[in-house]
Amino acid sequence: MRNDDKKQTVPTLWGNLSFQKLQRASILVLLLILCAIASFNTPTFLTWYNLVDNLFTNTAALGVIALGMTFVMIAGGFDLSVASTTAVCSVVLVLVMNAFSSCGAPAAITAALLVTALVGTALGAVNGVLIAYVGVNPFVVTLSTMLVFRGLALILTGGGQSLQVADIALRNRFNWIYDTKLPVFGHDHQIMLPIVIFLALFALGIYLLKFTRFGHYTYAIGGNEEAAWLAGVNTRRVKASTYALCGFTCSVAAVIFLAMTATAQPEAHMGRELTVIASVIVGGTPLGGGSGGLVLTLTGLLLLQVIENLLTQFDIGAEYRPVVTGLIIVVVVTIDVLARRRGRT
Amino acid sequence: MKTDKLKSSDILLAMQGIVKDFGGTRALDQVDFDVRGGEVHALIGENGAGKSTLVNVLAGHFSDYKGLITFAGQDVRITNPRQGRQIGIAVIFQELSVLPNFTVAENIMLGEETGARWSRKMDRSSLNAQARQTIDLLRFDLDPDEPVGRLSRARQCMVEIAGAVRRNVKLLVFDEPTACLGSEDVEKLFSVIRELKSRGLGIVYISHRITELPRIADRVTVLRDAKVVGTRNIAGCRLSDLTRMMLGHDLTEFFPEKTNRPGKTILKVHGLSRPGVFEDISFELREGEILGIAGLVGSGRTEIARAVFGVDKASGTLEFQGATVPARSPSLCRRLGIGMVPENRKREGNITGRPISENLNISILDRLAGTLGFQSPRRLALQAGRMVERMRIEPPIPKTNIQNLSGGNQQKVIVGRWLAAESKVVIFDEPTQGIDVGTKSQIYRLIMDMACKGRAIILICSELLEITKLADRILVIRAGRLVREMPGPETDEDTLLALCMGKGKSE
Repeated sequence: MRNDDKKQTVPTLWGNLSFQKLQRASILVLLLILCAIASFNTPTFLTWYNLVDNLFTNTAALGVIALGMTFVMIAGGFDLSVASTTAVCSVVLVLVMNAFSSCGAPAAITAALLVTALVGTALGAVNGVLIAYVGVNPFVVTLSTMLVFRGLALILTGGGQSLQVADIALRNRFNWIYDTKLPVFGHDHQIMLPIVIFLALFALGIYLLKFTRFGHYTYAIGGNEEAAWLAGVNTRRVKASTYALCGFTCSVAAVIFLAMTATAQPEAHMGRELTVIASVIVGGTPLGGGSGGLVLTLTGLLLLQVIENLLTQFDIGAEYRPVVTGLIIVVVVTIDVLARRRGRT
Repeated sequence: MKTDKLKSSDILLAMQGIVKDFGGTRALDQVDFDVRGGEVHALIGENGAGKSTLVNVLAGHFSDYKGLITFAGQDVRITNPRQGRQIGIAVIFQELSVLPNFTVAENIMLGEETGARWSRKMDRSSLNAQARQTIDLLRFDLDPDEPVGRLSRARQCMVEIAGAVRRNVKLLVFDEPTACLGSEDVEKLFSVIRELKSRGLGIVYISHRITELPRIADRVTVLRDAKVVGTRNIAGCRLSDLTRMMLGHDLTEFFPEKTNRPGKTILKVHGLSRPGVFEDISFELREGEILGIAGLVGSGRTEIARAVFGVDKASGTLEFQGATVPARSPSLCRRLGIGMVPENRKREGNITGRPISENLNISILDRLAGTLGFQSPRRLALQAGRMVERMRIEPPIPKTNIQNLSGGNQQKVIVGRWLAAESKVVIFDEPTQGIDVGTKSQIYRLIMDMACKGRAIILICSELLEITKLADRILVIRAGRLVREMPGPETDEDTLLALCMGKGKSE
């Protein structure tokens, strides 16, 4: 009825926590069950090679983008342009390395990394400014920049052919980023550099999100942008920054991708933006923002990857994979919505 | 319609000994209430006094009330919303139930359309003609072909009223109709109500704004703590008496003693203007001073506050502690030491879905940051805990989500936010709207406390009594202009209301 202010029941501390925990646990349990199925079916699943070399390393690049996307989505936003941004960054990487190849490998690689990071951040900032300062809907902005950035990658490559670093020595030096194995757990259990990069950024992201003003503001904007603005938060700058950050993570992902494949394809990664967004949502960061987090995103990411891995194991045709992935997203999000509705009354 | 058969002096609705319980709490306790045809009977009371429950009984939202209802000479028991409508009672709630994409005529005729069932292209000309009949009967200024979504709230309200009248309504209940109307719209609505009254309809008018009653009501019934305190004729009734009936307290107990001492000027506003909203507003604010801004809803008082805090753009200069403030924004104002408790708590105050602690700390995060911008969770929790204790927020658990608090406790969090920020100037826009009496008193005390500590306060409030009891000076705003400055303590609310409405000899 009207006057509902007075009749609301106040949940206890315990009630609040258990609800959150339950939600997080359900995804983790699902992840563990799937892992168990996988390891029963194929003994090789739980091997270091499959898990770390194969699964995690392949996830690292997408995972880096998902970190940036999590910030954007916690602030209530949305970025469809990440795959295109990554494509532009890969192309820029190769172009800069080719341009500087006469200066020696270290100089060329440093220059390429710096320029790419700048380009990625700048492209993200374009989204951010249009969304936060001009006030255009994030879906519309990033849908158009998705197309524009993709076009940019095509133009930069002169019409869509793949690019490679011309200097073989330089190319090999750059591939070091992917090939390097760190014998963290002895020589049988090495960790590849992309995973280290991902983990470092993951830790940094958690620090930013949970232990800095920027992170607190990000949550506040997702919770109620108007109220945050009236509480004296520079919401526009914070919001624009989340998109710039997301652009930056795209440039890091581009570095990993390029080191992995050695070629920059302007048409690469199409559709990956949806995988990234899906893993953030499946993890538990709601569309509209205000809650969620990086650990959740990591679970979501792993869940989708393990499912992919399982589908390969069971030899299910590629044509069925989108169906399965789509269904998983709907089911997980539906459960979440139902749980929230329960939690409210 | 058939309403003209009723003689205006007849008792149209009589409610006797109405009792309604929610679980263990009694929301209505032996309430007697009656309405005559052609009368506007106002129902007032604090939040939680039982007004809304009584309306919901009339609307048929409860089937388990006790007591007798006689309507148009017959005993009735209203147990569902349909039945209420059938016997001729319509409630116009704050959230109107019009369909924005349908035309005025379609809305008025909703459910009575003639023509093919599956086609929206029914006989439009006859539909419009029938709707036009009702519109003309009520002398409303509405175009049957216009989509309702394009109309102002007052006109949307007219559409809903027309629909009700079309269905032979004899009693119309308005639930806080002016809560989100501007002053022009309020005028329009009042003239509509007068028109309905002259047609012999009975009107129940619910409000917590005492000040508008003399303009519209014939009688007033005051509810407090689920009981009727009394019923009075508006003619010859003093506002202060009604306030006393509503609060049930001695006023000296309810309001804090004025102990603040204004010091030197801290804020100077000069020539603040926003075309079409307010014009040429200039005033000064001193440390330790409470400056009241009085005016009717829609007079521009909220907009002035928003302009000072940098939310809306406005021309004019602002001088804070002797220095001109350039391009204003809320974040700049916060850093300078200006804070604002906004009017609409749910939309502009609460950071939804986030715990009390974050809501309290949001404005002081730059001060709490350590090296590398580190926000120590321990320090944040300590700070929030201190504030929760100081503001006596219930439940005293900083991790509770803010939307799970009662309105009063939410407001304490928002006020606590600026208390923690140690802002030198705090603007309070309707700080006691929609909160219970106890918390109201607590918030008055907090405001007075802040002033005593040298903080400068701007207090905007619809309840004129609050302003006269707290403010040192009162600025009267009418239609976007600063018409007069009054000394606070010596002004009584009736004079102030006359000034706000433009009836007093002010200029």
